[in-house]
Amino acid sequence: MEPVREKLWDPALRAFHWLLAFFVIAAWVLGKFGPANMWLHFWCGYAVAGLLVFRLIWGFVGPEPARFRHFLTGPGKMLRYARGMFRRVPSYWPGHNPLGALSVIAMLLVLAAQVGSGLVSDPDDFINVGPLAGQVSQATSRAAVGWHNLGAVLILALVILHVGVILFYRFWKREDLVRPMLTGWKLVRRDD
Amino acid sequence: MRLILAAAFAVTPALALAQDDSAVQDALKARQGYMAAISANMGPLAAMAKGDVAYDEAQAVFHANNLAALGNYEVEMHFLPDTAQGQVEGSHALPKLWDNLDDVRAKHEDFKVAAAAAPEGVKGGQAQVGAVVQSLGGTCKACHDNYRAK
Ligand code: HEC
Ligand code: HEM
Repeated sequence: MEPVREKLWDPALRAFHWLLAFFVIAAWVLGKFGPANMWLHFWCGYAVAGLLVFRLIWGFVGPEPARFRHFLTGPGKMLRYARGMFRRVPSYWPGHNPLGALSVIAMLLVLAAQVGSGLVSDPDDFINVGPLAGQVSQATSRAAVGWHNLGAVLILALVILHVGVILFYRFWKREDLVRPMLTGWKLVRRDD
Repeated sequence: MRLILAAAFAVTPALALAQDDSAVQDALKARQGYMAAISANMGPLAAMAKGDVAYDEAQAVFHANNLAALGNYEVEMHFLPDTAQGQVEGSHALPKLWDNLDDVRAKHEDFKVAAAAAPEGVKGGQAQVGAVVQSLGGTCKACHDNYRAK
Protein backbone atom coordinates (compact mmCIF):
# COMPACT_ATOMS: atom_id res chain seq x y z
CA MET A 1 0.00 0.00 0.00
CA GLU A 2 1.22 3.49 -0.82
CA PRO A 3 1.71 5.87 2.11
CA VAL A 4 -0.71 8.78 2.22
CA ARG A 5 -0.38 12.32 3.54
CA GLU A 6 -2.54 12.70 6.57
CA LYS A 7 -3.20 15.34 9.20
CA LEU A 8 -1.83 13.40 12.16
CA TRP A 9 -0.97 15.72 15.04
CA ASP A 10 -3.61 18.20 16.19
CA PRO A 11 -2.65 21.84 16.87
CA ALA A 12 -2.98 21.58 20.65
CA LEU A 13 -0.64 18.59 20.77
CA ARG A 14 1.92 20.35 18.60
CA ALA A 15 1.75 23.47 20.74
CA PHE A 16 2.13 21.25 23.81
CA HIS A 17 5.18 19.56 22.33
CA TRP A 18 7.12 22.71 21.53
CA LEU A 19 6.14 24.54 24.70
CA LEU A 20 7.24 21.53 26.74
CA ALA A 21 10.56 21.40 24.91
CA PHE A 22 11.08 25.11 25.53
CA PHE A 23 10.23 25.13 29.22
CA VAL A 24 12.08 21.91 30.05
CA ILE A 25 15.25 23.19 28.39
CA ALA A 26 14.84 26.61 30.01
CA ALA A 27 14.28 25.04 33.44
CA TRP A 28 17.26 22.74 32.98
CA VAL A 29 19.66 25.45 31.87
CA LEU A 30 18.48 27.90 34.54
CA GLY A 31 18.82 25.16 37.17
CA LYS A 32 22.41 24.45 36.28
CA PHE A 33 23.66 27.82 35.15
CA GLY A 34 21.03 30.39 36.13
CA PRO A 35 21.26 33.22 38.66
CA ALA A 36 21.40 32.51 42.41
CA ASN A 37 17.76 33.47 42.79
CA MET A 38 15.85 30.74 40.97
CA TRP A 39 12.40 32.29 40.66
CA LEU A 40 12.50 32.05 36.86
CA HIS A 41 13.44 28.37 37.16
CA PHE A 42 10.45 27.84 39.45
CA TRP A 43 8.07 29.45 36.94
CA CYS A 44 9.44 27.34 34.09
CA GLY A 45 8.77 24.33 36.34
CA TYR A 46 5.19 25.46 36.95
CA ALA A 47 4.71 25.84 33.19
CA VAL A 48 5.93 22.25 32.78
CA ALA A 49 3.49 21.14 35.48
CA GLY A 50 0.60 22.81 33.66
CA LEU A 51 1.63 21.24 30.37
CA LEU A 52 1.80 17.79 31.99
CA VAL A 53 -1.73 18.18 33.33
CA PHE A 54 -2.89 19.12 29.84
CA ARG A 55 -1.14 16.08 28.35
CA LEU A 56 -2.71 13.75 30.89
CA ILE A 57 -6.19 15.01 29.99
CA TRP A 58 -5.42 15.01 26.27
CA GLY A 59 -4.28 11.40 26.54
CA PHE A 60 -7.86 10.46 27.39
CA VAL A 61 -10.06 12.93 25.52
CA GLY A 62 -7.83 14.21 22.68
CA PRO A 63 -7.82 13.06 19.06
CA GLU A 64 -6.95 9.41 18.37
CA PRO A 65 -3.14 9.70 17.84
CA ALA A 66 -2.81 11.63 21.12
CA ARG A 67 -4.58 8.99 23.22
CA PHE A 68 -2.62 6.73 25.53
CA ARG A 69 -4.64 3.66 24.59
CA HIS A 70 -3.82 4.33 20.95
CA PHE A 71 -0.05 4.15 21.39
CA LEU A 72 0.44 2.07 24.53
CA THR A 73 0.70 -1.45 23.19
CA GLY A 74 1.99 -4.75 24.54
CA PRO A 75 5.55 -6.08 24.55
CA GLY A 76 4.78 -8.29 21.53
CA LYS A 77 4.06 -5.36 19.28
CA MET A 78 7.09 -3.49 20.63
CA LEU A 79 9.36 -6.43 19.89
CA ARG A 80 7.97 -6.81 16.40
CA TYR A 81 8.54 -3.11 15.74
CA ALA A 82 12.05 -3.20 17.20
CA ARG A 83 13.02 -6.07 14.91
CA GLY A 84 12.24 -4.11 11.77
CA MET A 85 13.48 -0.86 13.13
CA PHE A 86 16.93 -0.83 11.54
CA ARG A 87 15.73 -1.35 7.99
CA ARG A 88 16.64 1.71 5.95
CA VAL A 89 13.07 2.64 5.11
CA PRO A 90 10.67 5.15 6.62
CA SER A 91 8.27 3.69 9.17
CA TYR A 92 5.22 5.62 7.91
CA TRP A 93 3.87 4.94 11.36
CA PRO A 94 0.56 6.71 12.03
CA GLY A 95 1.45 8.17 15.42
CA HIS A 96 3.86 7.22 18.18
CA ASN A 97 5.33 3.85 17.25
CA PRO A 98 5.21 1.09 19.91
CA LEU A 99 8.79 1.76 21.05
CA GLY A 100 8.52 5.54 20.89
CA ALA A 101 5.51 5.21 23.15
CA LEU A 102 7.82 3.93 25.88
CA SER A 103 9.98 7.01 25.57
CA VAL A 104 6.92 9.27 25.68
CA ILE A 105 5.75 7.66 28.91
CA ALA A 106 9.25 7.69 30.40
CA MET A 107 9.57 11.41 29.71
CA LEU A 108 6.17 12.28 31.13
CA LEU A 109 6.83 10.25 34.30
CA VAL A 110 10.33 11.62 34.89
CA LEU A 111 9.14 15.18 34.29
CA ALA A 112 6.25 14.69 36.73
CA ALA A 113 8.70 13.36 39.33
CA GLN A 114 11.01 16.31 38.65
CA VAL A 115 8.22 18.80 39.26
CA GLY A 116 7.20 16.92 42.41
CA SER A 117 10.71 16.80 43.87
CA GLY A 118 11.29 20.47 42.98
CA LEU A 119 8.12 21.55 44.78
CA VAL A 120 9.28 19.98 48.07
CA SER A 121 13.04 20.71 47.80
CA ASP A 122 14.81 22.70 50.50
CA PRO A 123 18.44 23.41 49.45
CA ASP A 124 19.18 25.24 52.75
CA ASP A 125 19.80 28.63 51.20
CA PHE A 126 16.59 30.39 52.35
CA ILE A 127 15.99 31.88 48.91
CA ASN A 128 15.12 28.90 46.69
CA VAL A 129 12.90 26.84 48.94
CA GLY A 130 10.25 24.85 47.09
CA PRO A 131 6.74 26.18 47.88
CA LEU A 132 5.62 22.85 49.38
CA ALA A 133 8.83 22.05 51.31
CA GLY A 134 7.07 23.02 54.55
CA GLN A 135 4.41 20.35 53.96
CA VAL A 136 6.86 17.45 54.23
CA SER A 137 9.44 16.40 56.81
CA GLN A 138 12.84 18.05 56.83
CA ALA A 139 14.47 14.74 55.90
CA THR A 140 12.20 14.51 52.85
CA SER A 141 12.79 18.07 51.71
CA ARG A 142 16.53 17.50 52.03
CA ALA A 143 16.40 14.18 50.17
CA ALA A 144 14.25 15.81 47.48
CA VAL A 145 17.23 17.96 46.47
CA GLY A 146 19.06 14.72 45.70
CA TRP A 147 16.14 13.26 43.72
CA HIS A 148 15.81 16.52 41.81
CA ASN A 149 19.50 16.36 40.97
CA LEU A 150 19.17 12.75 39.78
CA GLY A 151 16.06 13.69 37.82
CA ALA A 152 18.05 16.36 35.99
CA VAL A 153 20.52 13.69 34.84
CA LEU A 154 17.71 11.37 33.70
CA ILE A 155 16.03 14.20 31.79
CA LEU A 156 19.28 15.04 30.03
CA ALA A 157 19.70 11.36 29.07
CA LEU A 158 16.11 11.10 27.78
CA VAL A 159 16.42 14.31 25.78
CA ILE A 160 19.68 13.14 24.19
CA LEU A 161 18.06 9.79 23.36
CA HIS A 162 15.00 11.57 21.95
CA VAL A 163 17.04 13.84 19.68
CA GLY A 164 19.36 10.97 18.76
CA VAL A 165 16.46 8.80 17.62
CA ILE A 166 14.97 11.67 15.60
CA LEU A 167 18.35 11.99 13.83
CA PHE A 168 18.43 8.22 13.33
CA TYR A 169 15.06 8.37 11.60
CA ARG A 170 16.08 11.38 9.56
CA PHE A 171 19.41 10.12 8.27
CA TRP A 172 19.26 6.34 8.54
CA LYS A 173 15.61 5.66 7.86
CA ARG A 174 15.17 8.82 5.76
CA GLU A 175 12.01 9.87 7.55
CA ASP A 176 11.52 13.43 8.76
CA LEU A 177 9.66 13.39 12.06
CA VAL A 178 10.25 17.06 12.90
CA ARG A 179 8.17 18.59 10.13
CA PRO A 180 5.04 16.60 11.06
CA MET A 181 5.35 17.90 14.63
CA LEU A 182 5.45 21.43 13.16
CA THR A 183 2.75 21.20 10.48
CA GLY A 184 0.71 18.23 11.63
CA TRP A 185 0.98 16.52 8.22
CA LYS A 186 2.77 13.16 7.95
CA LEU A 187 3.15 10.40 5.39
CA VAL A 188 1.53 7.36 6.95
CA ARG A 189 0.55 3.84 6.03
CA ARG A 190 -2.08 1.82 7.83
CA ASP A 191 -1.81 -1.78 6.72
CA ASP A 192 -2.39 -3.73 9.89
CA MET B 1 30.92 -20.81 60.66
CA ARG B 2 30.92 -19.16 57.28
CA LEU B 3 28.01 -17.07 58.44
CA ILE B 4 29.86 -15.98 61.57
CA LEU B 5 32.91 -15.05 59.53
CA ALA B 6 30.79 -13.10 57.08
CA ALA B 7 29.07 -11.34 59.94
CA ALA B 8 32.44 -10.53 61.52
CA PHE B 9 33.66 -9.04 58.27
CA ALA B 10 30.49 -7.03 57.93
CA VAL B 11 30.74 -5.66 61.46
CA THR B 12 34.44 -4.81 61.50
CA PRO B 13 34.27 -1.67 59.35
CA ALA B 14 31.21 -0.54 61.28
CA LEU B 15 33.18 -0.91 64.53
CA ALA B 16 36.09 0.93 63.04
CA LEU B 17 33.73 3.73 62.17
CA ALA B 18 32.13 3.71 65.58
CA GLN B 19 35.52 4.00 67.25
CA ASP B 20 36.51 6.72 64.85
CA ASP B 21 38.76 9.12 66.62
CA SER B 22 36.56 11.52 68.44
CA ALA B 23 38.36 14.62 67.18
CA VAL B 24 37.01 13.89 63.73
CA GLN B 25 33.51 13.31 65.12
CA ASP B 26 33.71 16.58 67.01
CA ALA B 27 34.91 18.46 63.95
CA LEU B 28 31.93 17.18 61.98
CA LYS B 29 29.55 18.11 64.79
CA ALA B 30 31.10 21.56 64.99
CA ARG B 31 30.78 22.13 61.25
CA GLN B 32 27.18 21.02 61.05
CA GLY B 33 26.44 22.93 64.22
CA TYR B 34 27.98 26.00 62.61
CA MET B 35 25.67 25.62 59.62
CA ALA B 36 22.74 25.08 62.00
CA ALA B 37 23.62 28.27 63.88
CA ILE B 38 23.73 30.20 60.61
CA SER B 39 20.34 28.73 59.69
CA ALA B 40 18.87 29.58 63.09
CA ASN B 41 19.59 33.23 62.37
CA MET B 42 18.70 33.15 58.69
CA GLY B 43 15.29 31.63 59.48
CA PRO B 44 13.83 34.64 61.34
CA LEU B 45 15.24 37.04 58.73
CA ALA B 46 13.75 35.02 55.86
CA ALA B 47 10.40 34.88 57.68
CA MET B 48 10.48 38.67 58.06
CA ALA B 49 11.44 39.13 54.41
CA LYS B 50 8.48 37.01 53.31
CA GLY B 51 6.13 38.79 55.69
CA ASP B 52 5.37 35.64 57.69
CA VAL B 53 6.62 37.59 60.71
CA ALA B 54 6.10 41.33 61.18
CA TYR B 55 9.16 43.51 60.60
CA ASP B 56 10.95 44.24 63.84
CA GLU B 57 14.14 46.22 63.46
CA ALA B 58 15.65 45.25 66.81
CA GLN B 59 15.09 41.55 66.11
CA ALA B 60 16.45 41.87 62.58
CA VAL B 61 19.61 43.62 63.77
CA PHE B 62 20.04 41.03 66.53
CA HIS B 63 20.04 38.12 64.04
CA ALA B 64 22.15 40.07 61.55
CA ASN B 65 24.75 40.70 64.28
CA ASN B 66 24.85 36.97 65.03
CA LEU B 67 25.44 36.23 61.35
CA ALA B 68 28.20 38.82 61.19
CA ALA B 69 29.86 37.16 64.17
CA LEU B 70 29.49 33.71 62.57
CA GLY B 71 31.09 35.10 59.42
CA ASN B 72 34.28 35.64 61.38
CA TYR B 73 34.89 31.92 61.71
CA GLU B 74 37.62 30.55 59.54
CA VAL B 75 37.21 27.79 57.02
CA GLU B 76 40.15 25.85 58.47
CA MET B 77 38.36 25.46 61.75
CA HIS B 78 35.35 23.68 60.30
CA PHE B 79 36.78 21.81 57.36
CA LEU B 80 39.36 19.66 59.08
CA PRO B 81 40.99 16.94 56.98
CA ASP B 82 39.43 13.44 57.09
CA THR B 83 35.91 14.76 57.59
CA ALA B 84 34.63 14.36 54.03
CA GLN B 85 31.65 12.27 52.99
CA GLY B 86 32.80 8.66 52.98
CA GLN B 87 35.46 9.30 55.59
CA VAL B 88 33.15 9.95 58.48
CA GLU B 89 29.54 8.86 58.80
CA GLY B 90 26.98 11.63 58.49
CA SER B 91 29.19 14.02 56.56
CA HIS B 92 27.79 15.57 53.40
CA ALA B 93 30.89 17.56 52.54
CA LEU B 94 32.25 16.47 49.16
CA PRO B 95 35.90 15.29 49.11
CA LYS B 96 36.70 17.80 46.35
CA LEU B 97 36.23 20.55 48.92
CA TRP B 98 39.69 19.76 50.27
CA ASP B 99 41.22 19.97 46.79
CA ASN B 100 39.82 23.47 46.34
CA LEU B 101 40.42 25.10 49.69
CA ASP B 102 41.27 28.45 48.12
CA ASP B 103 37.92 28.55 46.37
CA VAL B 104 36.15 27.42 49.54
CA ARG B 105 37.86 30.24 51.44
CA ALA B 106 36.74 32.70 48.77
CA LYS B 107 33.16 31.44 48.99
CA HIS B 108 33.23 31.70 52.76
CA GLU B 109 34.66 35.19 52.41
CA ASP B 110 31.64 36.12 50.25
CA PHE B 111 29.40 34.95 53.07
CA LYS B 112 31.47 36.90 55.60
CA VAL B 113 31.24 40.10 53.55
CA ALA B 114 27.47 39.74 53.07
CA ALA B 115 27.03 38.99 56.78
CA ALA B 116 29.17 41.96 57.82
CA ALA B 117 26.88 44.25 55.83
CA ALA B 118 23.73 42.71 57.30
CA PRO B 119 23.38 44.63 60.62
CA GLU B 120 23.20 47.97 58.80
CA GLY B 121 21.46 46.46 55.80
CA VAL B 122 18.39 45.17 57.59
CA LYS B 123 17.50 48.59 59.02
CA GLY B 124 14.60 50.48 57.51
CA GLY B 125 11.90 47.92 56.72
CA GLN B 126 10.84 44.59 55.29
CA ALA B 127 12.26 45.29 51.83
CA GLN B 128 15.69 45.92 53.33
CA VAL B 129 15.59 42.53 55.06
CA GLY B 130 14.58 40.96 51.76
CA ALA B 131 17.64 42.34 50.01
CA VAL B 132 19.93 41.12 52.81
CA VAL B 133 18.43 37.60 52.72
CA GLN B 134 18.92 37.51 48.95
CA SER B 135 22.57 38.46 49.15
CA LEU B 136 23.27 36.07 52.05
CA GLY B 137 21.29 33.23 50.46
CA GLY B 138 23.27 33.54 47.25
CA THR B 139 26.46 32.83 49.18
CA CYS B 140 24.98 29.67 50.78
CA LYS B 141 23.91 28.40 47.36
CA ALA B 142 27.27 29.12 45.73
CA CYS B 143 29.07 26.95 48.27
CA HIS B 144 26.44 24.19 48.60
CA ASP B 145 26.16 23.78 44.80
CA ASN B 146 29.85 22.92 44.62
CA TYR B 147 30.83 21.32 47.88
CA ARG B 148 27.79 19.81 49.55
CA ALA B 149 26.49 16.39 48.55
CA LYS B 150 22.94 16.41 47.18
C1 HEC C 1 32.08 27.93 52.42
C2 HEC C 1 31.02 27.04 52.05
C3 HEC C 1 29.64 27.17 52.66
C4 HEC C 1 28.92 28.32 52.88
C5 HEC C 1 29.27 29.75 52.52
C6 HEC C 1 27.66 27.89 53.46
N1 HEC C 1 27.64 26.53 53.62
FE1 HEC C 1 26.19 25.43 54.51
N2 HEC C 1 27.24 23.74 54.19
C7 HEC C 1 28.46 23.65 53.56
C8 HEC C 1 28.89 22.27 53.53
C9 HEC C 1 30.19 21.76 52.90
C10 HEC C 1 27.89 21.52 54.16
C11 HEC C 1 27.90 20.00 54.43
C12 HEC C 1 28.54 19.82 55.79
C13 HEC C 1 28.56 18.39 56.25
O1 HEC C 1 27.57 17.65 56.10
O2 HEC C 1 29.59 17.98 56.79
C14 HEC C 1 26.87 22.46 54.57
C15 HEC C 1 25.72 22.11 55.26
C16 HEC C 1 24.71 22.98 55.63
C17 HEC C 1 23.52 22.60 56.36
C18 HEC C 1 23.18 21.18 56.84
C19 HEC C 1 23.91 20.95 58.16
C20 HEC C 1 23.65 19.55 58.69
O3 HEC C 1 23.29 19.42 59.85
O4 HEC C 1 23.83 18.59 57.94
C21 HEC C 1 22.78 23.75 56.52
C22 HEC C 1 21.45 23.86 57.22
C23 HEC C 1 23.50 24.83 55.90
N3 HEC C 1 24.68 24.33 55.37
C24 HEC C 1 23.08 26.14 55.85
C25 HEC C 1 23.82 27.18 55.28
C26 HEC C 1 23.31 28.54 55.15
C27 HEC C 1 21.93 29.00 55.55
C28 HEC C 1 24.33 29.26 54.58
C29 HEC C 1 24.33 30.73 54.17
C30 HEC C 1 23.83 31.71 55.03
C31 HEC C 1 25.44 28.36 54.34
N4 HEC C 1 25.09 27.11 54.77
C32 HEC C 1 26.64 28.77 53.79
C33 HEC C 1 29.18 24.70 53.04
C34 HEC C 1 28.83 26.04 53.11
C1 HEM D 1 10.61 19.69 34.69
C2 HEM D 1 10.93 20.80 35.22
C3 HEM D 1 12.24 21.01 35.93
C4 HEM D 1 13.52 20.76 35.48
C5 HEM D 1 13.96 20.21 34.13
C6 HEM D 1 14.41 21.14 36.55
C7 HEM D 1 15.80 21.06 36.49
C8 HEM D 1 16.67 21.47 37.49
C9 HEM D 1 18.11 21.43 37.42
C10 HEM D 1 18.93 20.95 36.22
C11 HEM D 1 18.60 21.91 38.60
C12 HEM D 1 20.07 22.00 39.02
C13 HEM D 1 20.39 20.76 39.79
C14 HEM D 1 21.81 20.73 40.24
O1 HEM D 1 22.70 20.90 39.41
O2 HEM D 1 21.99 20.54 41.42
C15 HEM D 1 17.48 22.26 39.44
C16 HEM D 1 17.56 22.77 40.72
C17 HEM D 1 16.48 23.16 41.50
N1 HEM D 1 15.13 23.12 41.11
FE1 HEM D 1 14.41 22.37 39.38
N2 HEM D 1 13.67 21.60 37.63
C18 HEM D 1 12.33 21.53 37.28
C19 HEM D 1 11.23 21.91 38.05
C20 HEM D 1 11.32 22.50 39.31
C21 HEM D 1 10.19 22.96 40.10
C22 HEM D 1 8.72 22.87 39.69
C23 HEM D 1 10.71 23.46 41.27
C24 HEM D 1 10.00 24.08 42.46
C25 HEM D 1 8.97 24.81 42.40
C26 HEM D 1 12.14 23.33 41.22
C27 HEM D 1 13.01 23.72 42.22
C28 HEM D 1 14.38 23.59 42.19
C29 HEM D 1 15.27 23.93 43.30
C30 HEM D 1 14.85 24.47 44.68
C31 HEM D 1 16.58 23.65 42.85
C32 HEM D 1 17.88 23.85 43.65
C33 HEM D 1 18.27 22.55 44.25
C34 HEM D 1 19.74 22.44 44.36
O3 HEM D 1 20.36 23.29 45.00
O4 HEM D 1 20.28 21.50 43.76
N3 HEM D 1 12.49 22.75 40.01
N4 HEM D 1 16.30 21.98 38.73
